[in-house]
Parts: sequence; C-alpha cells; structure tokens
Amino acid sequence: MARAVVRAERLSKDYAGHRGVDDLTFEVAEGEVFGYLGPNGAGKTTTIRLLLDLIRPTSGRIELFGLDVRRAGPKARGRLGYLPGDLRLYERLTPREHLRYFASLRGMSGLGDGEGLAERLELELDRPIRALSKGNRQKVGLVQALMHRPALAVFDEPTSGLDPLVQQVVYELVAEATADGRTVFVSSHVLSEVQHIAHRVALIRDGRLELVDDVESLRQRARSRVEVSFAEPPPTGAFDGLEGVREVGRNGDVVRLTLEGSADPLVKALARYEVRAIDSHEADLEEVFLELYRRPAGAR
Amino acid sequence: MLGSVFAKSLRDVRRSFAWWSLGLAGYVALIVAVYPTIRDNPDLNELVESYPDALKAFIAFGGRLDFTSAAGYLGSELFAFMIPALFLVASIGNGAGTIAGEEERGTLDLLLSAPLSRTRVAVEKLGAMCVELAGLGLVLWLALWIGARVFGMDVAARHLAAAVVVLVVLAAAYGSIAFTLAAATGRNALAVGVTVALAVAAYLVNSLASLVDALQPFRTLSPYYHYAAADPLREGLDPWHTLFLLVVGAAAASVGVVLFARRDVGT
Repeated sequence: MARAVVRAERLSKDYAGHRGVDDLTFEVAEGEVFGYLGPNGAGKTTTIRLLLDLIRPTSGRIELFGLDVRRAGPKARGRLGYLPGDLRLYERLTPREHLRYFASLRGMSGLGDGEGLAERLELELDRPIRALSKGNRQKVGLVQALMHRPALAVFDEPTSGLDPLVQQVVYELVAEATADGRTVFVSSHVLSEVQHIAHRVALIRDGRLELVDDVESLRQRARSRVEVSFAEPPPTGAFDGLEGVREVGRNGDVVRLTLEGSADPLVKALARYEVRAIDSHEADLEEVFLELYRRPAGAR
Repeated sequence: MLGSVFAKSLRDVRRSFAWWSLGLAGYVALIVAVYPTIRDNPDLNELVESYPDALKAFIAFGGRLDFTSAAGYLGSELFAFMIPALFLVASIGNGAGTIAGEEERGTLDLLLSAPLSRTRVAVEKLGAMCVELAGLGLVLWLALWIGARVFGMDVAARHLAAAVVVLVVLAAAYGSIAFTLAAATGRNALAVGVTVALAVAAYLVNSLASLVDALQPFRTLSPYYHYAAADPLREGLDPWHTLFLLVVGAAAASVGVVLFARRDVGT
C-alpha cells in the first residue's frame, strides 16, 4: 500500500452529553478516495474535526502526512483543504475577497486554481456572499478547499445543497485530484454518492467503525435484487432454504428476492412455477449498508 | 486588507471605528464647548464643594474636584466616567467578539483549517483590538487638543496625551479580560456580561473606598484606581500605575491565548 496520508490510531472522543467516536483505527493511503459513510449523528463530523485539530481526542492520535496534528497542526494543515459540513462564510465579503483572504493565510500570492475552479462551477466571484444561495455558498467552500491544490482534501458532505449537474462537477474534481496523486477524504450519509468515486469506504455507526473495505470487494459481497412475476402466486415459503436466496417481499403475483452468489438454485426452483417475467437489478451497495445498519451495533 | 488575520480583523471594524470616532469627537466637542460658561462661573466650585461626599467620590478624576480649571473640568466631565465607559464598551465588545464572535457565527472552523496556530490567530486578533483602541485614543486626543485650543482651555497637550494613554491601557486590559473569558468558553454574551460586572465592581470599589474604610485595602486591586489615581491631566503619566494596568492586560491575554489553544472549538 502507498504511504499513509491519514493515520488514526485508537482514536476516541468522549462528550459529556452525547456520543463522540470510540476507538477508531484506520489509514488513508496516498492517492486514494476514501469514503467515510454513516448515518447522521454517527460521528463522521467528529472524526473530521479531530483530523483538523479543531477538537482534541480523549485518547488515541492522528497523523497527517506522518505529522502529529496536535504538535505540527499548522504544517499539516498547510497541505490540506477542508470543506466543513456546516459551512459558514464571512457574509460581508465577496467570494473573491473570501478566497483572497484564505489564499493569503496559506501564503499564496494569487488565487491559485481559484478562478478556474470558480468558472467550472459557474460561481460568480463578485456578488456579496450574503446574497448567495446555499448551493453557491457551497461552491465558494469547494473552491476555497481546492484552490491551493492540497495534497489532502477533506470534504464533509460536499454535495449537500448542490444541484445534480454541479454534483457531477464535484465528482470530476475529485477524480482529477486523485489522478494527480492527491488524496481525498469524503464523508457522506448517502452511499450512492460515494460508491462511484471512492476506492475504499469506511462505515461508522454509533461512533464505531463497522467496516473498512474496498468498494470492489464490497460490490462482490452485494446481493442482486430479483423481481419475479408469476401467473399465480407461489405458496408462502416456496423459496425458503435456497442457497443465497431470500424473499424480501411480495405484492400479489410479484415476489421480490435477493440473490447472493450463483443464480442456479433459484432458477431451478422457479422452473416449478409458471413465470411471466424476471427482472434483475445490478448489485447495489446500498443493500449491503442497509443490512449493516439494521444489525445490532458491534455485531459483525 | 485581507492579507492576514490581523488585517482582516481591522477591516471588520473599520465602519464601526468611523462611527465611534464621529461620536467621540462630537461628544468631546459638546463638553468642551460648554467649558467657557463654567469657567466664568466661580460660584460653581462652591456649589460642588457643598455636594455630599458620596457624589463627589463618583465625579472626581484623580486629584481634587475643581470644575473651573480645564483639567478638573475635563476630568470630571469626561475622564471620570463617560469616556472610560465608552472605551470599555468598545474594547469589551471587540475583545469578546474576536474569537467567540467567529465561533458563534461558525466561521472559526474554516479559519482554523488554515495553516496557522491557534496562538497566532488569537495574538493577531488581540493586536487588532489594541490597534483599534489606540486609534480611538488618537481620535479622542485630537478632539481634546483641538477643542482645548479653540475654547482656550489651559491644559497641556502632553497631559491630555497622558490621560488618553492610560485610558487606552485600561480599555485594553478589560478587552483582554473579555477576550480571555470568550476564548476560554466560546461564549460571547457570558464574556461581555462578566467583564462588564468586573468593570463596574472596580469602579465602585475605587469610588466608595474614600467613603467606606472597609474597602480601602481592596482599592489598589481596582484597575480603575490605577487609571485615575495619578491624576494624569495635571501630573502626566505615572509609570507604575500604567505598568500595573499593562500587566493585568498582558496576564489576562496570555491566559486567554493558552486556554484557547487547548480547548475544543465549536462544539
């Protein structure tokens, strides 16, 4: 594996009133897109704010580029671009002024890639930020996070508030960044958003990591969905006990099943009935995740 | 003016600075313009002399109460209460707002994602607060100096400067206390409230100490005492009293910087 850009080691954050994160250990390798998934409130933003040294861990440690963020925070953050989940900007500035301010804080003389990015995202740079829509504000945040070509981009829910066309541009930007060998850490509560851009995903629930895996191997674990229309409904339990097959619902003559592995046992079983149509959907990671979410916490 | 946290912080207050300057200059002009009438009315000192001690304790600035001299008049009318009150409003608001304001508005997360240490951010913001106060002090001094010349007040420019300097140092000390409370807690309103309460207490302790013997031992702890005691409008700047205020401000600011560097932000 390539060099680790992010390394979290037994990271825990306790809060008096609410749950933080518990014993997180993971690494993000140079050049990969790491999708950080979980339902709202699971601890995604807490993890990211720990990475940024905005909050301090109760125990454990974090390294960015091999630097301990508690001790070498400014140096580590110099190579990082951050888009907060709850983005707040300086309302009295224009986007151009806002970008210029952050460029100065980063020691840049111009706006770097800022103007080019703004153009691609169709962001007007000279209207006051207080007059901008949520989507346009999000664009300011994105340009701010990427204008200095950071070696690591940390995006907390980057496409929230963006229309689908702009979301697509964001996915392109992520792909381009990794094509340059840069690393992207992206959190989301929507799997579909991450499964097309991430190489690996981590799933966090109730502050604990449930799984960290390649998107490809997850896909192989995924079940495909099969919808079968019968001439008349087969008896209840007709598909019980078939290897890799599970009935997930029926509606009159239509039975919905999930299929894992070989389709042969199912096809053989269907042959006993009069089948009008078979509709099969590509394996969807969503199912894998929903299943993980439904399981009791901690069970693997 | 977006080259640094320091510059941006000054930029953020430029409008309010303009209004404060206008207000200060207007207020000084008004007070100074009344002076000739007061000066030509020697009975006034006898009237003031007959005030109860409690009242005199609150309107005196430094030395003896004397409305007909320029220094006595400016001391009682401006420096005893109104001007420090105005400067403290400015400095406490600014000091508390430096960190807690950004934190409550949510912009602090983004700012701290830049490659700057927390200490650097805090120090630059405190520096901007001090520059703003010094600027207001300069405006006040100019207004007083021009007013004194126009209305024939017998007070030296350097004595005016001494009073303004110690005023700015007092305001900066309270601004630093407000900054520290805000930096430690992230709560703007709490920082403002507690600092105002401390300032009022210091003012009362100093003023009442001349009437209540029990308060005497605490008088030297009151920043307000060190602000007024040396009678800067007549005697010029006293280094020890000024140093006391500088130490209070610097100590408060250092504690604030350290606490801010340590804590979790925005949670």
